[in-house]
Amino acid sequence: MLSTSLKTAILVAIFIYFVILVLLLKQKRLALRYTLLWMFSGLLMLLVTIFPQILEGVTRLLGIQLLSNALFAILFFCVLMILISLTSIISKQNESIKQLVQHTALMEKRIRAIEEKDERL
Amino acid sequence: MKTLVIIPAYNEQENILNTIDDINRHCPEMDYIVINDCSKDDTEKILRENRKNYLSLPCNLGIGGGVQTGYRYACENGYDIAIQFDGDGQHEARYLHDLVAPLEAGAADIAIGSRFIRKEGFQSTGLRRLGIGFLSGMIKLLCGIRVTDVTSGMRAVNRRFIEEYARSYAQDYPEPEAIIAASVRGAKIVEVPVQMRERQGGKSSINPVRSVYYMIKVSLALILAKFSSKER
Repeated sequence: MLSTSLKTAILVAIFIYFVILVLLLKQKRLALRYTLLWMFSGLLMLLVTIFPQILEGVTRLLGIQLLSNALFAILFFCVLMILISLTSIISKQNESIKQLVQHTALMEKRIRAIEEKDERL
Repeated sequence: MKTLVIIPAYNEQENILNTIDDINRHCPEMDYIVINDCSKDDTEKILRENRKNYLSLPCNLGIGGGVQTGYRYACENGYDIAIQFDGDGQHEARYLHDLVAPLEAGAADIAIGSRFIRKEGFQSTGLRRLGIGFLSGMIKLLCGIRVTDVTSGMRAVNRRFIEEYARSYAQDYPEPEAIIAASVRGAKIVEVPVQMRERQGGKSSINPVRSVYYMIKVSLALILAKFSSKER
């Protein structure tokens, strides 16, 4: 079982976590499409804390000794998923930036050609 | 046929004019374009003041992104053949006619200039040759084609693969990957014997730490390219 004090601490932490998320979203410093994984992880934590039975089931199933270790394992998994999604976002943006840079260079060359023609007229 | 020589250049103020002269002297019928990959030295100034034909990237993209810009330019301007030709003075323009010959005859889609067929001219250092041999073996294993000089940046490509490369091209250390990517799309690839020189000036971009990274990255990329490039 989770001790009551640990449970309270986790609930408070999750509450603060959601307040921060919502505040950042309201100030538009986070885009919703990149925040869904964070929210999902928070909800999962909330679920597991309110219904520790789920956690106990997982703990027994995987043969983990301590309940809190199972909690950390789940958390760690969530963080890993978020990191992978961040790398994927970076890769996509990298490709977009590359195409933009190339496009700009091609446009700049066309502008230069037009200007040179103008000078000659 | 309308032919474009793509010259990627990063910090090549000492070599770039010589390279252009070399091409104009040996192949006056070919057009050229320099891709200045955001050089920190005076490369762009030299190109502008001498009214050379060039593209200037606003951010450094590395060799892959630079060369791809050249392919996009070739694609937009209706070239039949595009040639990659290093701006650092390693390549010699007197071999360009040999290089495009198989393409003009319709005998190949891609022609790669190789130092290791006649084994003449600058042959690179032993360790580097070992790496090239390893990658060459991998490409043989994965695609069944024999390419001796897999890292050669001197290659000619026909219209079909100008379009392919304009659409997608590997970003860093792209040369071996580009061979596999083309091969799985059914390219006929041939090698043409050429000689290369040692770099004339400037600095090579490869050091010991990077070469380990290079081998791992390229090996993985080759396997990945083999098994994933059918889809777009």
